[in-house]
Amino acid sequence: MAYFLSISATAAIFILLALSLNIITGYAGQAMMGQAAFFGIGAYTAAILAERGVNFWLCLLAGMLMSGVCGAVVGFISMRLQEDFLAITTIGINFVMVALFNNLKITGGSLGLNVAKPFMFGHKWTNLDFFILAVVFIVILCLLIVKMRRSWFGMALASISNDPAAAASFGINVNRYRVLAFIIGTAIAGLAGGIYSFRMGYISSASFAFTVSIEVLSMVVIGGIGTLHGPILGGILLSFLPEILRFADDYRSLVYGLLLVLMVRFMPEGLFGNGSPIMRALGRLFKPAAAASGKGGAA
Amino acid sequence: MSELMEIKGLKMYFGGLRAIDGLDLTIKAKETLGIIGPNGAGKTTLFNMICGVYKPTEGEIIYNGRHIEGKPAHQVAKMGIARTFQISRPLADLSILDNVIAAAGVHEYTGIRSYFKKSHTPEVIAKAEAVLEQTGLTEMRDKKASDVSLGYLRRLEIARVLVTDPDLIMLDEPCAGLSNFAMNEIIELMLKLKEMHKSVVLIEHNLPMTMKVCDRIAVLSYGVKIAEGTPDEVRNDPQVIEAYLGEEED
Ligand SMILES: Nc1ncnc2c1ncn2[C@@H]1O[C@H](COP(=O)(O)OP(=O)(O)OP(=O)(O)O)[C@@H](O)[C@H]1O
Ligand SMILES: [Mg+2]
Repeated sequence: MAYFLSISATAAIFILLALSLNIITGYAGQAMMGQAAFFGIGAYTAAILAERGVNFWLCLLAGMLMSGVCGAVVGFISMRLQEDFLAITTIGINFVMVALFNNLKITGGSLGLNVAKPFMFGHKWTNLDFFILAVVFIVILCLLIVKMRRSWFGMALASISNDPAAAASFGINVNRYRVLAFIIGTAIAGLAGGIYSFRMGYISSASFAFTVSIEVLSMVVIGGIGTLHGPILGGILLSFLPEILRFADDYRSLVYGLLLVLMVRFMPEGLFGNGSPIMRALGRLFKPAAAASGKGGAA
Repeated sequence: MSELMEIKGLKMYFGGLRAIDGLDLTIKAKETLGIIGPNGAGKTTLFNMICGVYKPTEGEIIYNGRHIEGKPAHQVAKMGIARTFQISRPLADLSILDNVIAAAGVHEYTGIRSYFKKSHTPEVIAKAEAVLEQTGLTEMRDKKASDVSLGYLRRLEIARVLVTDPDLIMLDEPCAGLSNFAMNEIIELMLKLKEMHKSVVLIEHNLPMTMKVCDRIAVLSYGVKIAEGTPDEVRNDPQVIEAYLGEEED
């Protein structure tokens, strides 16, 4: 049970991270390949402040803000870049950040940082507490995303991800919305990082490597990019599958990378995306009448 | 008729290529102005400069008394200038209805504030549906844009323009690649716009259509205007016949 809770707490944090990435890549259509860097910025910011005795919640908030500010910078860079260059640039940023984490004094260099567990309601936070906290944030974020998708903001993101030139032709300031998507997506990644920091009790640069970005991207793509449930289901699947299959950490990124390539090639909608085989089958199961009627006569 | 837009000494150079080379042109309110000319004459480039896609190398574009040359595309759109694309640019993942609704939001895209305003209100949906009806897209309402044929995508381009209630409508070859039947439907639509006294600029290769729907026609060739006038004047202009009509008839 303790083991299951431990994995669940980590899974919930990664789902939050996957949801944050989905805002940038899924809804806004920007090729972000270095989400782990922002996860790391949040984690280190929280850890560094916690070391200096700052309140737990303020640490999370600061991690979120710091990551969002860095995300804004990348967003501004993205305005000048074509899609494939943006992908390469964000990969580069990931490597640079890891190098910084690994070498700066304030981040503890290669030794990393210890983070004391927060103390609340008379006890030290447990995995269950972190799990609940992450789930609360997931629920809040999902509600905010549902609202976004029904707003003009959501329409703007959908438009720029489909065709920026068309979007601009009906009044959308493409650059502004791009930067906003980067800020929001990276800020939430920073929040996830802060929680991760406290949950682990110790962080080092390895936790924010490029391979982690690929893992998170795999969750989004395998679950169904641009859908609300995709990152959640993908996150659950990829968090528990390795534990079940027990494949070694060394092979993990290899397996994820392979899965990612295969999905993009053969099932771009993801396992659970709209129009994916699984979702179509479920649709038939739950709406047999609707599927049978309708779309009959159209010529 | 009053002037809606005045273009003076407009130039657009791509490296050594002079796509538009010193153009003066007036667009009057409530007229349908045709722009014709052979391939590569600079017609689309002119649209792209007016709509803020390209910043002119030189020259002025004055719209309703305001300089708009070099203004970004989204600002020009908010000023009431709406254009279609020669090669359709649908929002492929969205339904036809949502494509039109996206354009209907032209004045709603205010950055972070737009998060707090619902897009699919009954009024917005009703407005989009009315435009779908007007452009003959009602049947396709819920189809994904990536699943409909070229003819419908052309209409979608026009629907997205109309739903913004523009002051100036700019259509870049709305009939390109269409069957005669589909083309006639677009012509009907153009004539309807005329009845509604809309200001329209139409780029078109199809001469009979241009002659039929336009009040005035400007002829471009290699980035310069070689003729301008009523359809009849243009039809009989020897320079036009040489530069353009002659070429078409072989
Ligand atoms: N972005 C660009 N960069 C370089 N050259 C360009 C660019 N856009 C247009 N051109 C060139 O400018 C010239 C005019 O092109 P434009 O598309 O305006 O012609 P057009 O009159 O619309 O032709 P068509 O009837 O084929 O659509 C062409 O020679 C074209 O190759
Ligand atoms: Mg053209």
